[in-house]
Amino acid sequence: MSDHTKASGPTPFRNPGWAGNTGNFDLSEAQVRGDDFVGVRPPDGGHPSGAASYPYMKADKAPDAPLFEGPYRERFEKILTRYPETRAALLPTLNLAQELRGHISPDTMREVAVLLDLPEAYVRGVTSFYTMYNKKPVGRFLIQVCTNISCNLCGGDEVLAAFLKHTGTELGATSSDGDFTVMEVECLAACGTPTAVQINSRYYENVTPDGVPAILERLRARGE
Amino acid sequence: MMAFPYEHEREVRILSRGWGDPRTRTLEGWKALGGYQALEKALRMPRGEVIDEVKASGLRGRGGAGFPTGVKWSFMPKEKTGPQYLCCNADESEPGTFKDRELLRWTPHQLIEGCLIAAHAMQADHVFIYCRGEFFEAVQVLARAVEEAYEAGLIGKDILGSGIDIELTVHSGAGAYICGEETALMNSLEGRRGLPRIKPPFPAAVGAFGRPTTINNVETLCAIPHIVQHGGAWYREQGTEKSSGTKLFCVSGHVVRPGNYELPLGFPLKDLIYDVCGGLRPGRSLKAVIPGGSSVPILNAAECEDCTLDYEGVVEAGSMLGCASVIIMDDTTDIVKQVRRMVDFYAHESCGQCTPCREGTQWMARILRRIEEGRGTEEDMDTLLDLGDQMTGTTICVLSDSAAAPVASSIAKFRDDYLALIRRGERVGAA
Repeated sequence: MSDHTKASGPTPFRNPGWAGNTGNFDLSEAQVRGDDFVGVRPPDGGHPSGAASYPYMKADKAPDAPLFEGPYRERFEKILTRYPETRAALLPTLNLAQELRGHISPDTMREVAVLLDLPEAYVRGVTSFYTMYNKKPVGRFLIQVCTNISCNLCGGDEVLAAFLKHTGTELGATSSDGDFTVMEVECLAACGTPTAVQINSRYYENVTPDGVPAILERLRARGE
Repeated sequence: MMAFPYEHEREVRILSRGWGDPRTRTLEGWKALGGYQALEKALRMPRGEVIDEVKASGLRGRGGAGFPTGVKWSFMPKEKTGPQYLCCNADESEPGTFKDRELLRWTPHQLIEGCLIAAHAMQADHVFIYCRGEFFEAVQVLARAVEEAYEAGLIGKDILGSGIDIELTVHSGAGAYICGEETALMNSLEGRRGLPRIKPPFPAAVGAFGRPTTINNVETLCAIPHIVQHGGAWYREQGTEKSSGTKLFCVSGHVVRPGNYELPLGFPLKDLIYDVCGGLRPGRSLKAVIPGGSSVPILNAAECEDCTLDYEGVVEAGSMLGCASVIIMDDTTDIVKQVRRMVDFYAHESCGQCTPCREGTQWMARILRRIEEGRGTEEDMDTLLDLGDQMTGTTICVLSDSAAAPVASSIAKFRDDYLALIRRGERVGAA
């Protein structure tokens, strides 16, 4: 077993949670996650085929940033070129707005409606349908713990409890320092490596209650 | 050398070949494995022949329903009258299923190649890969691979000098299980709430943006390059007569080595559990198996004895293969709690369009919670079964049926667990 499977923080941590924890997996985290292949995305989003439309969840949010200026404007305009109807750009546009502002407020819905020439009530209806749109502000790190069946069989409830305990928050609330919001989430499609936890844009897998403090430490230190 | 966590000598690795090797992600790496030769071949074949080859392979849709892919493709109009679309369903969110994420992040070019061949066969101008919103990492890998393919002239105008134009867009959803249902997926793609549509009209007639559309699962499309390259007869060498080829089995729950294993269809369930996955944890015995994701009936240990994992074999054992998401539960499992958790999921994910589903899932969840907390009555079980009957076959899509299936099957097969809670407040199983 190579070093990166053993430690990724000040405390010994054999479970960095980004791959099957079989003990004989000697790829780096960047190789497993694909970061080495993806590289740093260009600010304008790159090719319109997709680069403009996948959502990130970022730790640093700008709730008052305009929709959209600079590189975000370029990405928004690329999104518009990809669909036969403008309406289809709604989800990607909301994704972009959430990436920038961190949540979709009623004001954001109104602005998106104007941008796409859709009724405001329609945009509200769509936004409220999808669970990934945060309707209110969340912490720098949105921690979503899967407690669905496969994770639940392997202790998902205990992992959720550990996150609540170590962040000192209630379910769905944000910690007093503004860092953490912990939520329960439905199946993340990482059932072979339970418990699966999504933190902002990252998956953490094979998470156990014991591993939670090290993950939180890593988040504070590395910002992801 | 690296060792991918999921690997077993009895696997037949066709789709999963290259998993765990970061080089396979790149265009160069995929080509080194023979990638995009099938696309070149398909572009030179008449469209009908590509469809015939897929029909000959016996490939069946890997998203759950198991409908023959070639037949589905042949529903598209013969004479094109305007834009046509192909949607790739990468909204993987059936609890217990985790194969598409691996296909997306390890072999994105395999999927792109499959999409392009399928689009050519069905005269689709534009491919939309609809990924669930949570797949940030996988989508970035896929989007980078799509960029590579565009740069290499494999997507876009005049692909490989064939005169054929195909565009491809990666589209992210925003968290809704129901968008894995093909008509809900199209609504979501169009920027609407993800509500399933009434069929007919079927998507091949009126689909996305009102145009003929075919929706295929990631795994289905990933099998296409191999079928085109080696032929339908070659694909049939694996699997059974009616369920040909290999399938990615997603094994989760109480086994020593959970994970994705690519095995020929018809593989014995017991071998999957005790050989491939290393058996149960020490000192435990098998209690129940969900063979096809949370939407299918639960099997008890006796029903698993002779069950083979093909579309027909699992039906014979009393359940369905679904997307081959095998959830293993040992004797520590609290069945009532797990069924309640599944029903909570369906209650959360119901789109709210049809009353039996919107109300039924909520009622079921409440009754199950009451039983779980020791406040249930024996009558509650009858109420649940009655509700389940009314939720089955009465709605636009099958989400409602899916919620009812584990409830009904668990009451039939694990009645004692329910009774222990109801009569004595005893929870069976600790986990």
